[in-house]
Amino acid sequence: MMQWTVQELLEKKGIHVKEEHIPILEQRWEQMRQVRRKMRKGPFNDYDISLRNIPGGDHIE
Amino acid sequence: MSKELVTKSVEELAPLLKNREISSLELTQAVMDHAEKLDKEINAFIMMTRGRAEKAARVADEEIKAGYYRGMYHGIPMAVKDNLYFKGEVTTMGSKINQNFIPHYEATVIQKLRHAGVIFTGKLSMHEYAAGVTNNNPHCGPCHNPWNTKMVPGGSSGGSGAAVAADMTVASLGTDTAGSVRIPASACGIVGLKPTYGRVSKYGCFPLSWSLDHIGPMTKTVKDAAGLLEIMEGYDPLDSTSLNVPTTGNYIERLTGDIEGLVIGVNEDYFFHHIDKEVETFVRKALQMLEDRGAKVEVVSIPSLQYAEYAELVTIISEAATIHHRNLTKRADDYGDDVRLFFELGELPSAVDFLEAQQLRRQIKKDFEQAFEKVDVIIAPTLPILPPEIGANKTTLNGKEVDVLDEMIRLTGPSNLTGLPSLSIPCGVAKDNLPVGMQVIGPALREDLVLNVGYAYELTNPMEGKRPNLLTEVE
Repeated sequence: MMQWTVQELLEKKGIHVKEEHIPILEQRWEQMRQVRRKMRKGPFNDYDISLRNIPGGDHIE
Repeated sequence: MSKELVTKSVEELAPLLKNREISSLELTQAVMDHAEKLDKEINAFIMMTRGRAEKAARVADEEIKAGYYRGMYHGIPMAVKDNLYFKGEVTTMGSKINQNFIPHYEATVIQKLRHAGVIFTGKLSMHEYAAGVTNNNPHCGPCHNPWNTKMVPGGSSGGSGAAVAADMTVASLGTDTAGSVRIPASACGIVGLKPTYGRVSKYGCFPLSWSLDHIGPMTKTVKDAAGLLEIMEGYDPLDSTSLNVPTTGNYIERLTGDIEGLVIGVNEDYFFHHIDKEVETFVRKALQMLEDRGAKVEVVSIPSLQYAEYAELVTIISEAATIHHRNLTKRADDYGDDVRLFFELGELPSAVDFLEAQQLRRQIKKDFEQAFEKVDVIIAPTLPILPPEIGANKTTLNGKEVDVLDEMIRLTGPSNLTGLPSLSIPCGVAKDNLPVGMQVIGPALREDLVLNVGYAYELTNPMEGKRPNLLTEVE
């Protein structure tokens, strides 16, 4: 399967990345991916989402 | 007299103004003279608006003389963070891209403060577009912490934190997306309140991340914060996220300091894990002082907090990158390096990543709600580290190198994800003369409760009258 690099992903979106930023972005993105992998193994009690951020729960109308 | 005046809180100044023992003009000039003098070292101001301020102060004096006293903030000079819109006045967001931006409307909070008689003295420095925690701004220069000018004041409302701490403004407003009111409040030894999400209208505030952004008071005392919230809160149909719930108001009246029987929750696994030893000592001492005043401390579990940093980061960078996408493709070189990287990172998560972060967020909210079935408030350090040196991206935490941004938002971010009210209150001065702050997190819409716990603690005089060295030198 074709893998895009961080630089390619951003340039496809029309975003020019500074040469010295590439390793920082790659490292940061890899850290996030590691957390994501761990997170996806964890249990979710609720698969709903909160696109609306209503403090105290959705009971407030 | 003018030197004494600038050190006073709003609660001390209000009766003097009301009884016409001092004039608003005299106070405004004293505060602005002091601010001009100190700003060479602190760099808290992006601009001062002396002419407009003096004119408004004269009007306030006339109104008070005529018996039309509007309340606690009438005639009080205040500078605010430069991402709140003033109609017809340049509002920069601490950026190069918006350095000449003139809003054609006013932020709701600014309108409310203006109606309450506040005298606006200028716009305060901030981390560019509020997208950082150091206030090391490449366009207007770094802002310095008045307690130790080599160190950052925190951010993104660092100008507000530094200016209040250094008496360059009597009170201020900040905005908080991952801790940006509470972080500089902690770093600068002042009070900072992030209200419940939707309690205060965000209309006319340049967004960083819509679903996480809040506006909050930054003040010298808890009572000043309570007074400011009374003015700021309320439903605003112009802000789609504004909560249409009755305003509770009367926050000042409800500051009794009585916490007998209050149950304080402590979450050891997240909020007390990997904390600077000195910070931890101060916060545990504060907990003891609250117990001495009649509160009980209980351990609470909030398992999903382990994913809070991830959910916060994915949400904030994705929403911020959406806001800045066009400029990122056309004017990337006009952003500071750190902010540009932050927004570029936000282009990487997928829609699935973003929505999973919202699932986590819901779980974290539920876990907090369950915790608040057992306890009244949760107390934690505001920052796990002491404010780092200006220019540092890394710092050490108990001997281990850590990332400044990650650490500074680690303990404040959960209250943005959940929208719960959170107060940072100073609880001591650590090594290198750096203040330490403590967070009081409450259930949704219970600002009265977090303020009262903060007030009860403030009554124990935790700062023992300590002030930034810089001010002692000036005096």
